[in-house]
Amino acid sequence: MKYDVIVVGGRVSGSVSSLFASKNDVDVLMVEKQQEIGVPVQCAGGVSDSFFKTMDLKPLQEYYSRIEGATLHAPDGGQVSTRNKISHGYILERKLFDKNLAIQSAEAGTDIMLKTPVKDLIMENGQVKGVVVRHQGKLMEISADVVIAADGVESQVAKMAGLNTHFEPYDLCSCAQYEMVGLDIDPAMIEFYFGQKIAPGGYVWVFPKGNTRANVGIGIRNIPNGSNKNNGNTQNTGNNGNNGYDKSKNAHHYLQKFISKLGGTPVEFNVGAVPVSGPVEKTYTDGLLVVGDAAGQVDPLTGGGIHVSASCAKIAGTIAAEAVKKEDSSAKFLKKYEDIWNKKKKIGHNLKRSLKYRRMFDKLDDQEISDLIKVVQGQELESVSKLTLLKMTKEYPQLFKLLRNIL
Amino acid sequence: MKYKSELCGYCGACVSVCPVNILELNDWRLEIQPLCENCGRCIIVCPVGALEEADHEI
Repeated sequence: MKYDVIVVGGRVSGSVSSLFASKNDVDVLMVEKQQEIGVPVQCAGGVSDSFFKTMDLKPLQEYYSRIEGATLHAPDGGQVSTRNKISHGYILERKLFDKNLAIQSAEAGTDIMLKTPVKDLIMENGQVKGVVVRHQGKLMEISADVVIAADGVESQVAKMAGLNTHFEPYDLCSCAQYEMVGLDIDPAMIEFYFGQKIAPGGYVWVFPKGNTRANVGIGIRNIPNGSNKNNGNTQNTGNNGNNGYDKSKNAHHYLQKFISKLGGTPVEFNVGAVPVSGPVEKTYTDGLLVVGDAAGQVDPLTGGGIHVSASCAKIAGTIAAEAVKKEDSSAKFLKKYEDIWNKKKKIGHNLKRSLKYRRMFDKLDDQEISDLIKVVQGQELESVSKLTLLKMTKEYPQLFKLLRNIL
Repeated sequence: MKYKSELCGYCGACVSVCPVNILELNDWRLEIQPLCENCGRCIIVCPVGALEEADHEI
């Protein structure tokens, strides 16, 4: 069997890559190891308005709920709300959204194989020439000019081609989430809760999905030796930070604690891991591109990845098709993908800036987070000028250093 | 490393941090090759506590 382009993974990055490759008139196969696209859900489903503009997609009523603001809750109970346009967006029903993207890709001409994990790559003279999959109990070789690895945080495909897509524990946010019904919430506002006792190294989110329903989830991060050093350092330190780690205090533990005071009842449970150390060093090699979570294309501050991954996947699919037409799938040509997403579109720059903010945020203790939120409390966030913030830091001098770095 | 399948949520966090690539998640099961170096990375990132250190009594 032979295709022009093979996309490994059928979630957002996979479907968007294959959609844009197919739109450019090449033969595309997407392989998904699960038997159903979009399951299990590993995401809270939040996207901003700009996502649909970038992707030229229309949000369908069946799979979203509208968000018009956000509330941040400080460790000391203080809170601040904003209805700024930046906070406007949607909470997606990921199962339906993912499947709809796959359907759009299939309608554009993509062939899809389900329940088909990739076991190996076909390599010739150091160039990726296709994949070896297990399909209906048999190993099968499928050749391709370009392989796109969109196989998520647990990606093995890019590693098989020699790219370094390994993550260390402190590169990941471990997440757990209940979709719950019967909550006392404002269905137009997303909420975030911060604090070492609530969500160490991360936050709790409440993402409304209509009426009394919401995704209530948590992401936590283990920071080596209990300090805030080495965050986002992707070097293997030899010490994995396991010393004194209490596995009973996992994401699910903190989530149970949080929801115990909410009331409501769960109708779905999800777990996941989000890479929050910025993009991997290199996202292309001879005959292969890597996109999405597998490439670390996630905003390190918020952990949001749908819009970043989809933007990069659109570029990957387009460049893969161009490589096929020009009969050049060398690393030299495919580098164009990275040049566009990293430099031309400035996605790389934005992710790095976000990583810088996250590292600053990591250094704040509960008191400092509470103070920061107190400074802007009672005001609409967009009305807070830089000057006001600087004046207010007189009252909270410890914030000065943080703000100086941001402003 | 010991695996409690009844707690597993199939997220792949463990797979992504395994330095020796012995973990594989397919459909609704985690497959583990017998070459674990007991580094403990997977235990740290598991959101549900489905992984534990292996017993050392022998």
